[in-house]
Amino acid sequence: MKRRQFLADLIYGATVALTLPVGVTEARVNTTGVRYLRPPGALPEDQFKSQCIRCGQCGEVCPNRAITYFGVAHGAEVMDTPFIVPREQACILCMKCGDVCPSGAIQPIKKTFKDIVGKVRMGKARVDENLCLSFQGKTCGVCYRACKLQDVAIRIGMLEQPHVLDACVGCGLCERSCIQIPQAIRIIPDYG
Amino acid sequence: MTKHLNKVRWLVLTTVFLMLILLPFIHLYQTYVAAHAYDLLAPAEKQVYDTMEMLTSPFVSDPEHDLDAIKGNTWSGTFFGFRISDPLAVVSQSFAGLSLYWPFILTGLIPLVLTVLFGRFYCGWICPATFLYELNSNFAVLMHRFGLHTGNRHFDRRFKYLVLGVGLLLSAMTGAVLTAVVYPPAIIGREIYYGVALSGYSHVVIGGFGAGAVFFLSTLLFDLFVSRRGFCRYLCPGGALYSMLGRFRLFRIQRVVENCNDCAKCNAVCEFGLDPLHDDFGQECNNCTACIAICPTDALKFSVSLADQPFKGHGHLGKVYQRNLVNKTKEKSGQGELP
Repeated sequence: MKRRQFLADLIYGATVALTLPVGVTEARVNTTGVRYLRPPGALPEDQFKSQCIRCGQCGEVCPNRAITYFGVAHGAEVMDTPFIVPREQACILCMKCGDVCPSGAIQPIKKTFKDIVGKVRMGKARVDENLCLSFQGKTCGVCYRACKLQDVAIRIGMLEQPHVLDACVGCGLCERSCIQIPQAIRIIPDYG
Repeated sequence: MTKHLNKVRWLVLTTVFLMLILLPFIHLYQTYVAAHAYDLLAPAEKQVYDTMEMLTSPFVSDPEHDLDAIKGNTWSGTFFGFRISDPLAVVSQSFAGLSLYWPFILTGLIPLVLTVLFGRFYCGWICPATFLYELNSNFAVLMHRFGLHTGNRHFDRRFKYLVLGVGLLLSAMTGAVLTAVVYPPAIIGREIYYGVALSGYSHVVIGGFGAGAVFFLSTLLFDLFVSRRGFCRYLCPGGALYSMLGRFRLFRIQRVVENCNDCAKCNAVCEFGLDPLHDDFGQECNNCTACIAICPTDALKFSVSLADQPFKGHGHLGKVYQRNLVNKTKEKSGQGELP
Protein backbone atom coordinates (compact mmCIF):
# COMPACT_ATOMS: atom_id res chain seq x y z
CA MET A 1 0.00 0.00 0.00
CA LYS A 2 2.79 2.37 0.90
CA ARG A 3 4.62 1.66 -2.32
CA ARG A 4 1.49 2.16 -4.39
CA GLN A 5 0.86 5.46 -2.65
CA PHE A 6 4.44 6.50 -3.26
CA LEU A 7 4.22 5.63 -6.96
CA ALA A 8 0.95 7.47 -7.30
CA ASP A 9 2.44 10.50 -5.60
CA LEU A 10 5.49 10.27 -7.82
CA ILE A 11 3.41 10.19 -11.01
CA TYR A 12 1.19 12.99 -9.74
CA GLY A 13 4.19 15.06 -8.71
CA ALA A 14 5.95 14.52 -12.01
CA THR A 15 2.82 15.45 -13.96
CA VAL A 16 2.39 18.62 -11.95
CA ALA A 17 6.05 19.50 -12.19
CA LEU A 18 6.05 19.03 -15.96
CA THR A 19 2.84 20.90 -16.68
CA LEU A 20 2.91 23.64 -14.09
CA PRO A 21 5.89 25.70 -15.29
CA VAL A 22 4.49 25.77 -18.82
CA GLY A 23 1.13 26.91 -17.57
CA VAL A 24 2.68 29.51 -15.29
CA THR A 25 4.99 31.00 -17.93
CA GLU A 26 2.21 31.12 -20.48
CA ALA A 27 -0.14 32.82 -18.07
CA ARG A 28 2.38 35.47 -17.09
CA VAL A 29 2.82 37.80 -20.03
CA ASN A 30 3.96 40.62 -17.83
CA THR A 31 7.12 39.63 -15.98
CA THR A 32 8.34 43.14 -15.25
CA GLY A 33 6.61 43.87 -11.96
CA VAL A 34 5.16 47.07 -13.43
CA ARG A 35 1.51 47.41 -14.48
CA TYR A 36 2.23 49.03 -17.81
CA LEU A 37 0.53 49.77 -21.11
CA ARG A 38 2.14 49.59 -24.52
CA PRO A 39 1.78 52.63 -26.79
CA PRO A 40 -1.42 52.83 -28.87
CA GLY A 41 -1.34 50.55 -31.90
CA ALA A 42 1.23 48.21 -30.40
CA LEU A 43 1.20 44.60 -31.54
CA PRO A 44 0.27 41.81 -29.10
CA GLU A 45 2.91 41.53 -26.39
CA ASP A 46 4.99 38.56 -27.65
CA GLN A 47 5.01 39.93 -31.20
CA PHE A 48 5.82 43.39 -29.90
CA LYS A 49 8.93 42.16 -28.10
CA SER A 50 10.32 40.62 -31.29
CA GLN A 51 9.31 43.52 -33.53
CA CYS A 52 10.57 46.42 -31.40
CA ILE A 53 14.18 47.36 -32.19
CA ARG A 54 14.50 49.69 -29.18
CA CYS A 55 15.34 52.80 -31.18
CA GLY A 56 13.46 55.14 -28.86
CA GLN A 57 11.75 57.19 -31.54
CA CYS A 58 8.26 56.69 -30.09
CA GLY A 59 9.31 58.37 -26.87
CA GLU A 60 11.02 61.11 -28.81
CA VAL A 61 7.85 62.14 -30.61
CA CYS A 62 5.50 61.71 -27.64
CA PRO A 63 4.34 65.27 -26.92
CA ASN A 64 2.97 64.30 -23.52
CA ARG A 65 6.13 62.48 -22.36
CA ALA A 66 3.91 59.51 -21.55
CA ILE A 67 6.20 56.94 -23.15
CA THR A 68 9.14 55.83 -21.06
CA TYR A 69 11.45 52.83 -21.26
CA PHE A 70 12.18 49.69 -19.29
CA GLY A 71 15.56 49.36 -17.63
CA VAL A 72 17.76 46.37 -17.00
CA ALA A 73 15.94 45.61 -13.76
CA HIS A 74 12.86 44.55 -15.73
CA GLY A 75 14.71 41.89 -17.69
CA ALA A 76 16.74 41.86 -20.91
CA GLU A 77 13.73 40.76 -22.93
CA VAL A 78 11.84 44.01 -22.38
CA MET A 79 14.84 46.26 -21.71
CA ASP A 80 14.62 49.57 -23.61
CA THR A 81 11.14 48.84 -24.95
CA PRO A 82 8.51 51.58 -24.53
CA PHE A 83 5.75 51.56 -21.96
CA ILE A 84 3.21 53.86 -20.39
CA VAL A 85 2.20 54.03 -16.75
CA PRO A 86 -1.05 55.98 -17.02
CA ARG A 87 -1.10 57.16 -13.42
CA GLU A 88 2.23 58.93 -14.03
CA GLN A 89 1.47 60.25 -17.52
CA ALA A 90 -1.32 59.04 -19.76
CA CYS A 91 -1.58 58.72 -23.52
CA ILE A 92 -3.40 61.57 -25.25
CA LEU A 93 -4.05 59.49 -28.38
CA CYS A 94 -2.10 61.77 -30.72
CA MET A 95 -1.01 58.66 -32.69
CA LYS A 96 2.43 60.06 -33.49
CA CYS A 97 4.31 57.04 -32.13
CA GLY A 98 2.72 54.68 -34.65
CA ASP A 99 3.65 57.01 -37.48
CA VAL A 100 7.29 57.18 -36.47
CA CYS A 101 7.86 53.51 -35.55
CA PRO A 102 10.16 52.10 -38.26
CA SER A 103 9.70 48.40 -37.55
CA GLY A 104 5.92 48.18 -37.26
CA ALA A 105 5.96 47.23 -33.57
CA ILE A 106 3.57 50.15 -33.14
CA GLN A 107 1.26 50.05 -36.11
CA PRO A 108 0.31 53.40 -37.66
CA ILE A 109 -3.28 54.34 -36.90
CA LYS A 110 -5.01 57.36 -38.39
CA LYS A 111 -6.03 60.00 -35.89
CA THR A 112 -9.74 59.69 -36.58
CA PHE A 113 -12.51 58.75 -34.19
CA LYS A 114 -13.37 55.60 -36.14
CA ASP A 115 -9.81 54.29 -36.39
CA ILE A 116 -8.94 55.00 -32.77
CA VAL A 117 -12.06 53.32 -31.39
CA GLY A 118 -11.73 50.43 -33.81
CA LYS A 119 -8.01 49.67 -33.64
CA VAL A 120 -6.46 50.94 -30.39
CA ARG A 121 -6.43 48.25 -27.70
CA MET A 122 -4.20 49.36 -24.86
CA GLY A 123 -6.51 48.10 -22.16
CA LYS A 124 -9.81 48.84 -20.55
CA ALA A 125 -10.71 51.00 -17.57
CA ARG A 126 -12.29 49.49 -14.50
CA VAL A 127 -13.97 51.45 -11.70
CA ASP A 128 -13.45 50.44 -8.10
CA GLU A 129 -16.83 51.35 -6.64
CA ASN A 130 -15.54 51.15 -3.09
CA LEU A 131 -13.03 53.92 -3.79
CA CYS A 132 -14.90 56.05 -6.31
CA LEU A 133 -16.23 59.25 -4.72
CA SER A 134 -19.35 59.30 -6.86
CA PHE A 135 -20.32 55.88 -5.61
CA GLN A 136 -19.83 57.18 -2.04
CA GLY A 137 -22.39 59.90 -2.57
CA LYS A 138 -19.93 62.72 -3.33
CA THR A 139 -20.41 63.73 -6.94
CA CYS A 140 -17.13 63.92 -8.85
CA GLY A 141 -17.14 62.93 -12.55
CA VAL A 142 -13.52 63.97 -13.20
CA CYS A 143 -12.72 60.77 -15.11
CA TYR A 144 -15.62 61.34 -17.47
CA ARG A 145 -14.47 64.89 -18.17
CA ALA A 146 -10.89 63.79 -18.78
CA CYS A 147 -11.96 61.15 -21.31
CA LYS A 148 -11.36 61.92 -24.98
CA LEU A 149 -14.14 59.53 -26.03
CA GLN A 150 -16.95 60.75 -23.80
CA ASP A 151 -20.23 58.77 -24.00
CA VAL A 152 -18.46 56.24 -26.24
CA ALA A 153 -15.89 54.84 -23.84
CA ILE A 154 -17.36 56.07 -20.59
CA ARG A 155 -20.91 57.02 -19.64
CA ILE A 156 -21.96 58.96 -16.59
CA GLY A 157 -24.96 58.06 -14.45
CA MET A 158 -26.71 59.39 -11.40
CA LEU A 159 -24.47 61.38 -9.00
CA GLU A 160 -21.85 61.43 -11.80
CA GLN A 161 -21.19 57.73 -11.33
CA PRO A 162 -18.88 56.53 -14.16
CA HIS A 163 -19.68 53.42 -16.20
CA VAL A 164 -16.99 52.17 -18.57
CA LEU A 165 -18.30 50.99 -21.94
CA ASP A 166 -16.87 48.41 -24.34
CA ALA A 167 -15.36 51.01 -26.67
CA CYS A 168 -12.82 52.10 -24.04
CA VAL A 169 -9.34 52.03 -25.65
CA GLY A 170 -7.37 52.27 -22.41
CA CYS A 171 -5.49 55.53 -22.92
CA GLY A 172 -5.49 56.11 -19.16
CA LEU A 173 -6.53 59.76 -19.06
CA CYS A 174 -9.24 58.83 -16.52
CA GLU A 175 -6.71 57.08 -14.28
CA ARG A 176 -4.34 60.03 -14.56
CA SER A 177 -7.05 62.50 -13.62
CA CYS A 178 -8.68 60.56 -10.75
CA ILE A 179 -8.59 62.73 -7.64
CA GLN A 180 -8.70 59.76 -5.25
CA ILE A 181 -5.46 58.36 -3.83
CA PRO A 182 -5.12 55.54 -4.68
CA GLN A 183 -6.99 55.98 -7.94
CA ALA A 184 -10.52 54.60 -8.11
CA ILE A 185 -10.38 53.95 -11.85
CA ARG A 186 -7.59 51.87 -13.34
CA ILE A 187 -6.66 50.58 -16.77
CA ILE A 188 -6.49 46.80 -16.96
CA PRO A 189 -3.82 46.28 -19.67
CA ASP A 190 -4.66 44.31 -22.79
CA TYR A 191 -1.50 42.50 -23.90
CA GLY A 192 -3.27 40.81 -26.81
CA MET B 1 42.86 66.17 -51.46
CA THR B 2 42.47 62.82 -49.74
CA LYS B 3 44.93 64.14 -47.14
CA HIS B 4 42.11 66.20 -45.68
CA LEU B 5 39.49 63.45 -45.60
CA ASN B 6 40.42 62.67 -42.01
CA LYS B 7 39.42 66.18 -40.97
CA VAL B 8 36.16 65.84 -42.87
CA ARG B 9 35.60 62.57 -41.05
CA TRP B 10 36.07 64.23 -37.66
CA LEU B 11 33.65 66.93 -38.74
CA VAL B 12 31.05 64.29 -39.67
CA LEU B 13 31.58 62.35 -36.44
CA THR B 14 31.25 65.51 -34.34
CA THR B 15 28.14 66.61 -36.22
CA VAL B 16 26.44 63.24 -35.72
CA PHE B 17 27.31 63.24 -32.04
CA LEU B 18 26.12 66.80 -31.50
CA MET B 19 22.88 65.97 -33.31
CA LEU B 20 22.33 63.08 -30.93
CA ILE B 21 22.66 65.51 -28.04
CA LEU B 22 20.53 68.18 -29.69
CA LEU B 23 17.59 65.94 -30.63
CA PRO B 24 16.52 65.06 -27.06
CA PHE B 25 16.58 68.75 -26.16
CA ILE B 26 14.44 69.47 -29.21
CA HIS B 27 12.06 66.77 -27.96
CA LEU B 28 11.89 68.46 -24.56
CA TYR B 29 11.26 71.82 -26.21
CA GLN B 30 8.44 70.29 -28.25
CA THR B 31 6.79 68.87 -25.15
CA TYR B 32 7.01 72.27 -23.44
CA VAL B 33 5.43 73.91 -26.48
CA ALA B 34 2.71 71.25 -26.58
CA ALA B 35 1.92 71.83 -22.91
CA HIS B 36 1.39 75.59 -23.45
CA ALA B 37 2.75 76.21 -19.97
CA TYR B 38 5.89 78.34 -20.25
CA ASP B 39 5.15 80.07 -16.96
CA LEU B 40 5.01 76.77 -15.07
CA LEU B 41 8.43 75.57 -16.21
CA ALA B 42 11.33 75.30 -13.80
CA PRO B 43 14.20 77.77 -14.42
CA ALA B 44 16.38 75.10 -16.05
CA GLU B 45 13.50 74.07 -18.29
CA LYS B 46 12.91 77.68 -19.27
CA GLN B 47 16.55 77.88 -20.26
CA VAL B 48 16.12 74.82 -22.49
CA TYR B 49 12.98 76.37 -23.97
CA ASP B 50 14.64 79.70 -24.71
CA THR B 51 17.79 78.17 -26.18
CA MET B 52 15.89 75.79 -28.40
CA GLU B 53 13.51 78.50 -29.51
CA MET B 54 16.48 80.63 -30.47
CA LEU B 55 18.07 77.76 -32.39
CA THR B 56 15.00 76.53 -34.23
CA SER B 57 12.82 79.61 -34.77
CA PRO B 58 14.61 80.61 -38.00
CA PHE B 59 13.69 77.27 -39.55
CA VAL B 60 10.25 76.33 -38.26
CA SER B 61 7.02 78.17 -37.63
CA ASP B 62 5.16 75.42 -35.75
CA PRO B 63 7.77 73.72 -33.54
CA GLU B 64 5.37 71.18 -32.08
CA HIS B 65 4.84 69.51 -35.44
CA ASP B 66 7.56 70.80 -37.78
CA LEU B 67 10.38 69.59 -35.57
CA ASP B 68 9.14 66.01 -35.92
CA ALA B 69 11.00 66.01 -39.25
CA ILE B 70 14.26 64.79 -37.69
CA LYS B 71 13.90 62.10 -35.05
CA GLY B 72 15.73 59.07 -33.78
CA ASN B 73 19.38 58.15 -33.78
CA THR B 74 21.89 56.20 -35.84
CA TRP B 75 20.21 52.91 -34.90
CA SER B 76 17.06 54.00 -36.67
CA GLY B 77 16.05 57.50 -37.61
CA THR B 78 13.55 59.60 -39.49
CA PHE B 79 14.89 62.33 -41.73
CA PHE B 80 12.18 64.48 -43.35
CA GLY B 81 9.87 61.52 -43.72
CA PHE B 82 12.68 59.30 -44.95
CA ARG B 83 13.57 56.37 -42.70
CA ILE B 84 17.05 54.95 -42.37
CA SER B 85 17.90 51.99 -40.15
CA ASP B 86 21.08 50.25 -39.19
CA PRO B 87 21.49 46.98 -41.17
CA LEU B 88 22.20 45.23 -37.87
CA ALA B 89 18.78 46.36 -36.62
CA VAL B 90 17.17 44.88 -39.72
CA VAL B 91 19.05 41.59 -39.46
CA SER B 92 18.47 41.23 -35.70
CA GLN B 93 14.80 42.04 -36.00
CA SER B 94 14.37 39.50 -38.77
CA PHE B 95 15.98 36.89 -36.54
CA ALA B 96 13.99 37.90 -33.45
CA GLY B 97 10.66 37.87 -35.27
CA LEU B 98 11.63 34.92 -37.49
CA SER B 99 9.88 36.73 -40.30
CA LEU B 100 10.57 39.40 -42.88
CA TYR B 101 8.80 42.72 -42.43
CA TRP B 102 9.50 44.48 -45.70
CA PRO B 103 8.63 48.09 -44.82
CA PHE B 104 11.34 47.89 -42.17
CA ILE B 105 13.86 45.94 -44.23
CA LEU B 106 13.68 48.59 -46.97
CA THR B 107 14.78 51.26 -44.46
CA GLY B 108 18.09 49.44 -44.12
CA LEU B 109 18.70 49.22 -47.86
CA ILE B 110 20.71 52.43 -48.40
CA PRO B 111 23.19 51.76 -45.56
CA LEU B 112 23.50 48.20 -46.83
CA VAL B 113 24.41 49.28 -50.37
CA LEU B 114 26.85 51.90 -49.03
CA THR B 115 28.47 49.25 -46.83
CA VAL B 116 28.91 46.90 -49.76
CA LEU B 117 30.57 49.73 -51.71
CA PHE B 118 32.64 51.36 -48.96
CA GLY B 119 33.12 48.51 -46.49
CA ARG B 120 33.02 49.23 -42.82
CA PHE B 121 32.76 53.01 -43.37
CA TYR B 122 29.99 53.35 -40.76
CA CYS B 123 32.49 52.44 -38.04
CA GLY B 124 34.86 55.18 -39.06
CA TRP B 125 32.62 57.95 -40.31
CA ILE B 126 29.25 57.92 -38.55
CA CYS B 127 29.15 55.73 -35.45
CA PRO B 128 28.68 57.98 -32.39
CA ALA B 129 30.58 55.43 -30.31
CA THR B 130 33.60 55.82 -32.60
CA PHE B 131 33.68 59.51 -31.71
CA LEU B 132 34.09 58.64 -28.04
CA TYR B 133 36.31 55.61 -28.64
CA GLU B 134 38.79 57.63 -30.71
CA LEU B 135 38.87 60.38 -28.10
CA ASN B 136 39.48 57.56 -25.63
CA SER B 137 42.41 56.32 -27.75
CA ASN B 138 43.85 59.83 -27.82
CA PHE B 139 43.47 59.98 -24.06
CA ALA B 140 45.34 56.68 -23.82
CA VAL B 141 48.22 58.23 -25.78
CA LEU B 142 48.24 61.11 -23.30
CA MET B 143 48.27 58.67 -20.39
CA HIS B 144 51.09 56.75 -21.99
CA ARG B 145 53.10 59.95 -22.34
CA PHE B 146 52.79 60.53 -18.62
CA GLY B 147 54.03 57.03 -17.95
CA LEU B 148 50.69 55.55 -16.92
CA HIS B 149 49.74 52.03 -17.84
CA THR B 150 47.49 51.51 -20.87
CA GLY B 151 46.59 48.15 -22.33
CA ASN B 152 47.54 47.04 -25.79
CA ARG B 153 46.73 43.36 -25.78
CA HIS B 154 45.69 41.53 -28.90
CA PHE B 155 42.95 38.96 -29.27
CA ASP B 156 41.45 37.06 -32.16
CA ARG B 157 39.49 39.37 -34.48
CA ARG B 158 37.14 36.56 -35.39
CA PHE B 159 35.66 36.68 -31.90
CA LYS B 160 33.23 39.43 -32.95
CA TYR B 161 31.68 37.13 -35.55
CA LEU B 162 30.96 34.75 -32.70
CA VAL B 163 29.36 37.62 -30.77
CA LEU B 164 27.20 38.43 -33.79
CA GLY B 165 26.23 34.78 -34.29
CA VAL B 166 25.40 34.17 -30.65
CA GLY B 167 23.52 37.49 -30.48
CA LEU B 168 21.37 36.58 -33.47
CA LEU B 169 20.80 33.07 -32.13
CA LEU B 170 19.73 34.37 -28.72
CA SER B 171 17.51 36.96 -30.43
CA ALA B 172 15.81 34.18 -32.36
CA MET B 173 15.43 32.05 -29.24
CA THR B 174 14.10 34.74 -26.89
CA GLY B 175 12.13 36.65 -29.51
CA ALA B 176 13.67 39.97 -28.50
CA VAL B 177 16.21 42.12 -30.37
CA LEU B 178 19.07 41.47 -27.95
CA THR B 179 21.91 42.79 -30.13
CA ALA B 180 20.53 46.28 -29.48
CA VAL B 181 21.51 45.86 -25.85
CA VAL B 182 25.24 45.36 -26.53
CA TYR B 183 25.70 47.55 -29.62
CA PRO B 184 27.41 50.83 -28.61
CA PRO B 185 25.97 53.23 -31.23
CA ALA B 186 22.42 52.08 -30.39
CA ILE B 187 23.21 52.40 -26.70
CA ILE B 188 24.59 55.91 -27.07
CA GLY B 189 21.62 57.14 -29.08
CA ARG B 190 19.24 55.80 -26.45
CA GLU B 191 21.23 56.74 -23.38
CA ILE B 192 21.71 60.37 -24.38
CA TYR B 193 17.96 60.56 -24.86
CA TYR B 194 17.35 58.88 -21.50
CA GLY B 195 19.84 61.15 -19.78
CA VAL B 196 18.28 64.31 -21.16
CA ALA B 197 14.60 63.47 -21.26
CA LEU B 198 13.94 60.70 -18.76
CA SER B 199 15.53 62.05 -15.61
CA GLY B 200 13.13 61.81 -12.71
CA TYR B 201 11.82 58.32 -13.41
CA SER B 202 12.40 55.73 -10.74
CA HIS B 203 13.60 52.81 -12.88
CA VAL B 204 16.67 54.50 -14.37
CA VAL B 205 20.08 54.44 -12.75
CA ILE B 206 21.53 57.94 -12.34
CA GLY B 207 20.18 61.18 -13.76
CA GLY B 208 18.16 59.36 -16.39
CA PHE B 209 20.99 57.17 -17.66
CA GLY B 210 20.25 53.46 -17.70
CA ALA B 211 22.26 50.26 -17.67
CA GLY B 212 23.45 50.90 -21.23
CA ALA B 213 25.54 53.85 -20.04
CA VAL B 214 27.24 51.62 -17.49
CA PHE B 215 27.91 49.03 -20.19
CA PHE B 216 29.37 51.65 -22.50
CA LEU B 217 31.61 53.06 -19.78
CA SER B 218 32.92 49.57 -19.12
CA THR B 219 33.80 49.20 -22.82
CA LEU B 220 35.67 52.52 -22.62
CA LEU B 221 37.66 51.19 -19.66
CA PHE B 222 38.27 47.94 -21.54
CA ASP B 223 39.69 49.94 -24.45
CA LEU B 224 41.82 52.01 -22.14
CA PHE B 225 43.31 49.35 -19.89
CA VAL B 226 43.10 46.06 -21.78
CA SER B 227 43.14 46.53 -25.50
CA ARG B 228 43.32 49.65 -27.65
CA ARG B 229 39.97 50.04 -29.47
CA GLY B 230 39.30 46.51 -28.28
CA PHE B 231 35.53 46.54 -28.41
CA CYS B 232 35.39 47.59 -32.06
CA ARG B 233 38.17 45.23 -33.05
CA TYR B 234 37.14 42.09 -31.23
CA LEU B 235 33.60 42.33 -29.87
CA CYS B 236 31.26 44.63 -31.79
CA PRO B 237 28.46 42.66 -33.52
CA GLY B 238 27.78 45.54 -35.91
CA GLY B 239 31.42 45.69 -36.89
CA ALA B 240 31.28 41.98 -37.60
CA LEU B 241 28.29 42.41 -39.90
CA TYR B 242 29.82 45.33 -41.78
CA SER B 243 33.16 43.57 -42.11
CA MET B 244 31.44 40.65 -43.77
CA LEU B 245 29.35 42.92 -46.02
CA GLY B 246 32.40 44.97 -46.92
CA ARG B 247 34.69 42.08 -47.73
CA PHE B 248 34.47 42.77 -51.46
CA ARG B 249 34.10 46.53 -51.12
CA LEU B 250 34.80 48.56 -54.23
CA PHE B 251 36.58 51.51 -52.65
CA ARG B 252 39.64 50.66 -50.63
CA ILE B 253 42.89 52.25 -49.52
CA GLN B 254 46.03 50.92 -51.16
CA ARG B 255 49.74 51.57 -50.79
CA VAL B 256 51.70 52.99 -53.71
CA VAL B 257 54.96 51.17 -53.25
CA GLU B 258 56.93 53.72 -55.30
CA ASN B 259 56.15 56.46 -52.75
CA CYS B 260 56.45 54.44 -49.56
CA ASN B 261 59.46 54.95 -47.30
CA ASP B 262 58.70 52.19 -44.76
CA CYS B 263 58.23 54.62 -41.89
CA ALA B 264 55.33 52.52 -40.48
CA LYS B 265 53.43 55.53 -39.21
CA CYS B 266 50.34 54.11 -40.88
CA ASN B 267 50.55 50.95 -38.79
CA ALA B 268 50.97 52.97 -35.61
CA VAL B 269 48.00 55.24 -36.31
CA CYS B 270 45.60 52.52 -37.47
CA GLU B 271 42.85 52.25 -34.86
CA PHE B 272 41.95 48.76 -35.99
CA GLY B 273 45.51 47.43 -35.76
CA LEU B 274 45.78 46.68 -39.47
CA ASP B 275 49.00 46.48 -41.43
CA PRO B 276 48.97 48.99 -44.33
CA LEU B 277 52.76 48.79 -44.53
CA HIS B 278 52.50 45.23 -45.79
CA ASP B 279 49.42 45.87 -47.94
CA ASP B 280 47.31 43.95 -45.45
CA PHE B 281 44.00 45.80 -44.98
CA GLY B 282 41.51 42.97 -45.24
CA GLN B 283 37.81 43.25 -44.54
CA GLU B 284 38.34 45.08 -41.25
CA CYS B 285 39.45 48.40 -42.76
CA ASN B 286 36.86 51.11 -42.10
CA ASN B 287 38.25 53.59 -44.65
CA CYS B 288 38.80 56.11 -41.89
CA THR B 289 41.74 57.65 -43.85
CA ALA B 290 43.82 58.27 -40.72
CA CYS B 291 46.72 56.47 -42.43
CA ILE B 292 46.37 58.67 -45.51
CA ALA B 293 46.47 61.76 -43.35
CA ILE B 294 49.61 60.77 -41.49
CA CYS B 295 51.62 59.37 -44.42
CA PRO B 296 54.58 61.73 -44.96
CA THR B 297 55.17 60.70 -48.56
CA ASP B 298 51.58 60.39 -49.86
CA ALA B 299 52.02 56.68 -50.45
CA LEU B 300 48.45 55.74 -49.52
CA LYS B 301 45.53 56.48 -51.78
CA PHE B 302 42.01 55.33 -52.54
CA SER B 303 41.56 52.94 -55.41
CA VAL B 304 38.70 51.07 -57.01
CA SER B 305 39.33 47.36 -56.69
CA LEU B 306 37.54 44.29 -55.44
CA ALA B 307 40.53 42.93 -53.53
CA ASP B 308 43.66 44.15 -51.78
CA GLN B 309 46.80 44.05 -53.87
CA PRO B 310 49.33 41.38 -52.87
CA PHE B 311 52.37 42.55 -50.86
CA LYS B 312 54.42 44.69 -53.21
CA GLY B 313 57.67 44.55 -51.24
CA HIS B 314 59.52 47.26 -49.38
CA GLY B 315 58.79 50.91 -50.14
CA HIS B 316 60.97 52.34 -52.88
CA LEU B 317 61.95 55.31 -50.74
CA GLY B 318 62.85 53.14 -47.77
CA LYS B 319 66.33 52.15 -46.62
CA VAL B 320 65.97 48.42 -47.41
CA TYR B 321 64.94 48.95 -51.00
CA GLN B 322 67.57 51.64 -51.57
CA ARG B 323 70.35 49.42 -50.21
CA ASN B 324 69.23 46.52 -52.39
CA LEU B 325 69.15 48.88 -55.36
CA VAL B 326 72.67 50.05 -54.70
CA ASN B 327 73.85 46.44 -54.33
CA LYS B 328 72.17 45.47 -57.58
CA THR B 329 73.71 48.30 -59.53
CA LYS B 330 77.11 47.44 -58.08
CA GLU B 331 76.65 43.79 -59.04
CA LYS B 332 75.87 44.89 -62.54
CA SER B 333 78.98 47.03 -62.73
CA GLY B 334 81.04 44.12 -61.45
CA GLN B 335 82.11 45.44 -58.06
CA GLY B 336 80.36 42.72 -56.03
CA GLU B 337 78.48 43.18 -52.79
CA LEU B 338 79.37 45.61 -50.13
CA PRO B 339 80.92 44.07 -47.01
